[in-house]
Amino acid sequence: MKLPRRFLCVITDEHRCPVELARMALDGGAAMLQLRRKQASGSELFAWAIRIQELCRQHDAIFVVNDRLDIAMAMHADGVHLGQDDIPAATARAMLGPDAIVGVSVSNVEEAGKALADGADYLGLGHIFPTVSKDKPNPPLGIPMIESVRKAVDLPIVAIGGIGADNACEVIGAGASGLAVISAVTSAPDPTAATRELVRRVWL
Amino acid sequence: MIVSSGREHLDAGGLVVKQAAALSESEPVLFQLREKGLEAAHLLELATRIKPLLDTSASRLMINERADIALLSGAYGIHLPENACPADSIRRTFPGLVAGQSAHSREAALDSMRSGVDYLIYGPVFATPLNERFGPPKGLEALGRICRSVRIPVFAVGGITPERSFACIEQGAWGVAAMAPFIDPGTLRKTITTFRSYLPS
Repeated sequence: MKLPRRFLCVITDEHRCPVELARMALDGGAAMLQLRRKQASGSELFAWAIRIQELCRQHDAIFVVNDRLDIAMAMHADGVHLGQDDIPAATARAMLGPDAIVGVSVSNVEEAGKALADGADYLGLGHIFPTVSKDKPNPPLGIPMIESVRKAVDLPIVAIGGIGADNACEVIGAGASGLAVISAVTSAPDPTAATRELVRRVWL
Repeated sequence: MIVSSGREHLDAGGLVVKQAAALSESEPVLFQLREKGLEAAHLLELATRIKPLLDTSASRLMINERADIALLSGAYGIHLPENACPADSIRRTFPGLVAGQSAHSREAALDSMRSGVDYLIYGPVFATPLNERFGPPKGLEALGRICRSVRIPVFAVGGITPERSFACIEQGAWGVAAMAPFIDPGTLRKTITTFRSYLPS
């Protein structure tokens, strides 16, 4: 499985039905969906994951499961997205094989280098701007970090954290290949339209 | 069967490792690592660390919920909560792991058995403050009905003491599972011996 040269990744939030959100985001042109629902049970995650994976196949989009390698393996997801406190990326790569997509959340050049060595396919770099979607104790990284990681590590960067239509072009201009969003899509009155607008800016 | 405290993320002072060290010199048990507050990387680290301690006494390590971590840590198996990822898909994906599942009703117990799990934990049989969220205690009679309904081993859980273990076995339970009686690593070995004296060998 191969990542597109530029892409928008939509991540599920804690409120909306993940399958409904996926449908709307895919209709808007999102090329990647990430299922992330920290409070959900395994049975809920599994059921949602099966349906979102099917939708992603229909749309030729990539589906990754956040953190839960067990669920990704059990329902044959396209891949996983791992945080720094999740299963090590090298381990996930060994379990899933060379064709799976493995993404890793990083916040500096050192973690990015480690992710590359571990066999990651892309970096989730953030949070770039202040964000309301997650409780973040650390200050935002800012645009310059995208440039630093871009120069140091040869992996596609997916910028996350406070990304919206207003700053998308700036982020891509700094060297990110993709954008990952939660609230910019989930909180929009029309998630499909919001996705479409972000996808347009990714390619500008 | 011994279930870990679930407090490891709250700076429990390494209770799990102390329990595992005590178990390395005890009679063999199933030890279920159930630490929902731990992130996956830390859970994997902890499981990998205690596995050799349990091996010393032929005790077996069961990982709660996460089959990936069970596989990676070399654990004996996986214990699935009632609302976990479906047991049949877990069995297909991780065929090398023994799989148990919690059941709080007869329907759930039958579903689990049909999806191919190796054993059940049923309860709460007796009242404890910790398992109030699973509703009122089911009682010994309900335990007996479950044990007669399924063809796989059933462990009784909830308010289990050595004295009550015997009554559970009389109802057809294969064993008992508990957390609170085993929380003190200093008395762990002695507590297991006491439990053993009430259980068939």
